[in-house]
Order: sequence, then C-alpha cells, then structure tokens
Amino acid sequence: MQATQIRPRRPRDWRGIVFQAVMLLPAIAFLAIFMYYPIEETFRLSLMRSTGLGDEVYVGFQNYARLFRDAEFRAGFVNVLLWAFWSVVIQIPYSFFVAYALCLYRNHFTRPLRAIFFLANVLPSAITAMLGQFVFAPRYGVIATLAQRFKWTWLQRIDFLGDPDLAFWSIFALATWAYTGFGIVYLMANIEQIPRDIEEAAKLDGANRWQYAWHVVLPMVAYPIRILAILSIVGSLKLFDLPYLMTRGGPGYATTTLGIILYQQGFVNWQYGRAAAIGVVIFLLSLVFTVALFSMQRREGELQ
Amino acid sequence: MNLLKKVPEVVVTIVLIALALTVVLPMLIPMFFVFKTRLEFAYDPWGWPTTIRWDNFIGAWNAIRIDQGLINTLYVSLGAILCTVPPAAMAGYIFARYRSRVTEIIFYLVLAGYFVPALMVLIPLYRLSARMGLANTLPGLFLPMAAFGIPFWTIIYRSFFRGLPEELAEAARIDGAGHLDTFFRVMLPLAKPATFLAGLLVFIGAWSDYLLSLIMLSDQRLFTMQLRVAQFLNNYGVSNMPRYAAGVVISALPTIILYILGHRWILKGTLAGALKG
Repeated sequence: MQATQIRPRRPRDWRGIVFQAVMLLPAIAFLAIFMYYPIEETFRLSLMRSTGLGDEVYVGFQNYARLFRDAEFRAGFVNVLLWAFWSVVIQIPYSFFVAYALCLYRNHFTRPLRAIFFLANVLPSAITAMLGQFVFAPRYGVIATLAQRFKWTWLQRIDFLGDPDLAFWSIFALATWAYTGFGIVYLMANIEQIPRDIEEAAKLDGANRWQYAWHVVLPMVAYPIRILAILSIVGSLKLFDLPYLMTRGGPGYATTTLGIILYQQGFVNWQYGRAAAIGVVIFLLSLVFTVALFSMQRREGELQ
Repeated sequence: MNLLKKVPEVVVTIVLIALALTVVLPMLIPMFFVFKTRLEFAYDPWGWPTTIRWDNFIGAWNAIRIDQGLINTLYVSLGAILCTVPPAAMAGYIFARYRSRVTEIIFYLVLAGYFVPALMVLIPLYRLSARMGLANTLPGLFLPMAAFGIPFWTIIYRSFFRGLPEELAEAARIDGAGHLDTFFRVMLPLAKPATFLAGLLVFIGAWSDYLLSLIMLSDQRLFTMQLRVAQFLNNYGVSNMPRYAAGVVISALPTIILYILGHRWILKGTLAGALKG
C-alpha cells in the first residue's frame, strides 16, 4: 500500500508535480479564459456605462438602480420567481407521483416508461418550442383543431400565446412537458435505494400503499426533493430559450425573463453595463440557492 | 381474489401509459404535416396524408441549406467533444489520484464552475471572442461551450477514477511505467465507459445549443441547425408549414436516434451528475 502513495513526498517528486501541472493545465486554461475572466468582467462592466462604442465610464451602482426602476426588469424578475415557485409546487409533486407509481408497479408495461418520460428532456429547445407552436397556434394548432371538431367555441376563441394572461401558463405547460422527465428519473433512482425491509416493515404495520408513500417514502426522499427544488429554481433564474422562441417575452412583458432582458439589453440595445448588471443579479441569486444546496448536503452528511 | 388485488395496479399502469403518451404523441405532430402539399395542409392539416411525398424534405433542405447547417453543427459538436472530454479526463484523473491540499483547492475552483450559468457572462464572452478573432466563427461557439462543460465532466471522471482499484496503478508502477504511461496505457482505457458517456452527452448538448449560437454567430452561412430551424418560422412563417415541419424533423432526428441507441447510458450519466451536483 505504501508504494501506491503517488502524492509528492520528500525529497520532492518533481516529475510528479510537473505531470500534475501539465494534466491540469488544459482544464484550468479553458476555465480561466472562458469562465473566470468573463465573470470578473461581468462584475466590472456592471459598474460601467458601456455601449461598445466610446469609453467606459464608471457609474457606481447606477445600472442596478436603473434596473430596479425599470418596469420591464421588474416584470421579468417577478416572472422568473413565479416560474420558480410554480415549478416547485406543480412539477415536483407530479414527478414524485409518477416516480413512485413507476417504482411501485413494475410490469411489462411500466418498465420501458422511464426512458420514455425522459425523452422530451433531450429534445433541442428550438424543437420543443416548435412543437409548442403546433399545439397552441390558432386555427391549425392541435387545441384549435380539436375545439373546431367538437364545436367548443369558447375554446376556439382562446389565444394561448397572444393573451397576456395565458401566455405564461402556455409556456409553463410546455416546459413542464419538456423537463419533468428529469425529476421523474431522478426521484425513481432515489426511491429504488430504499431498502426492501423498510417496505416489509411498513406492510407488517398495516400501512397501505398510499400511507407508505406519504409516511415512509416521502420523508426518505426529502433530500433529493430539496435538491430538485433548488435545481428548478436555479433553472428558472436562467430561463431563456422557450419564452424567447415562443413569444419573445411578449405579449407586453407577460413572458419576459431575466435572460431575455439581458439578451435584449446586451445584444439589441448594446447596453453592456446594464446587461452585465442583470448577469450579476442572476449570478447572486443562483449563488444564494447553491450555497443553500451545499449547506443542506453538509447537514445530511452526503457530501463525499 | 387475486384478480381484485390487481385492480389498482391495472388502473395505475393505464394512467402511467396515458401520461407517457402525452410525452410521445406531441413529437409525432410534424408527421401529420410533412407529407402534405401546402394546399392539402390548408384544407385539412390533421388528415392522414394521401401519398407519401418527400418534396417538403427537399424543399426544407434547400430553403434553409440544411447541408450547411448539418456540417456546421457537426463541426461544433465534434469540436466541443474534443475540447471538453480530454481536459476533463486529465483533470479528473489528477483530482482522483493525486490528492493533496493544492489539488483539492483547484478541484473546488473547478467545481464552482459547475454552478456558473453561461447566461451570466454572455457579454464579456462575446467581447472576448471578438478580441480573439473568434466572433462569428464556429470555434467561438465550441470553445466557451467546452469551458462550461469541463466542470461537470471533471466531476464525473474524478468519481470514476476513484472507483478504480488502487492495485492497477501499483502494478503498472512495478512494471516500470511512469506517471504518463500509467495514465494513458492503464487508466484511460479503463475509463472507456465514462469517455463514451461524455462523448454522447457533449454531442447532444452541443447539437441542441441555442443561446450561445444566437449571440456568437451572425453570418447566415455559419448558422447551426437550431438557429436555422428557429429562423425558418421568422422567414417563411406559417405559410409553408409542411416544409417547416420537415426541417424540424431533420434537425430533431439525430438527438432522438442517439437517445434511442444510448438511453441507458444517458439516464445513468444524468443521474451520476445530479447525485453529485
């Protein structure tokens, strides 16, 4: 066993140190150039007035102050938080239900379903958005066509993507369709880890399947559910593809997100400083939730 | 009695199958459209196609230059694999086998990168690539992609290498293999499952990217498949839905085929990442 201690010992193993440095260099170089440096730049730019033309002028926290006075930014901020809230409240219980049911009844029909539930997760978002168009579009869309066939005129009149009160929910439904597969697969993997004897013990105590789910399984997957909640929240903070592709954030500000506003400020209005400030806001919010994730992991003692 | 006991199972199974169908069926929607002419589509978008004709595929192919798109996207995906997987494998190996205070600190720096959203740094990333002459080039797309993929795969490789028995490296050393030989001749070949998984998922990720392509590429000829699909609707609108649907089918097919072939691996890899994350 002593011989396998490859770590540098006295006298220093210079070859080993050079080897380590060379092996780490490519990864470090990529991260330093394309991640750490841009992060530093984002913070710096967020304090500047910068339009890509002319000089950058230091303006302190003006960009931030301006953002929080801006109705569009506030709308995006609220949308993103609402999105996070509803994904936790709707998508996670749904994932748990499906995952538990799939684990409970294993038969020829349910076994292949795990892979099917995950399928929508691997679709490119441009494709998901297009499928969403096919479902929600007026006249030829799936819903409109069904409404026409069954003469449900009230349904025919609904404009799923054009109505400011509905657009958010239409896109949310599409995202639920596209992304809950991950939660299902993740919770299944955790439910499968519960030892068999616990289930037997619950049965002996006379618990039925739903009592078992509520009183035994749910507490045992409380930790993965919290992780899932944090992943959903962080995912909501950087939401961009689907709302941008479906509605460009409209109608009005109904479906705008921090990501869409960042993109528009940076690449349409060329307001680098303001866009960077939005980036910092997204980063800080993600950081808060990530720290929460790690402190939970510590408490549960599951960090390797 | 036995039959009565089966009732809940049958009901739940039916519900689960119905839910699974809601996942699959929307993906088949374009199939209603792609074999129709515009007239047939306008008249009856949801009827069964009368004849199988491939005109829409050819039309879509020419309208958004799918050949160019496929070559660009393939180039980006392969570039992303080449720039993500080797650095991650090398770094993951060091973090797993050469543990010291220094490597642990560097590991946490890399790990932190896993939580940085690319969205946050879009502006500096764009300006940086402009200065490096990478703006509006395909490497300008896959180099940052690699940087944002490396943390995740380093974590995966690290836990993979830690799982390999210590004796293997020892045996190699006794045979006189140096650090480099031990890694390339003994450890790396053993990591084939991780490498295969990384290749597959990095490919799918790069193939599906939208946001980075959107900001990095302005030259139409360099557009990736996803940009072309998204543009199609803007340029041609709903006036040629069958052709649009055909373009969508062509661009979605590679990921779906890869998923069908590799779904076991993909599920495993996704979970490995999430359980670590």
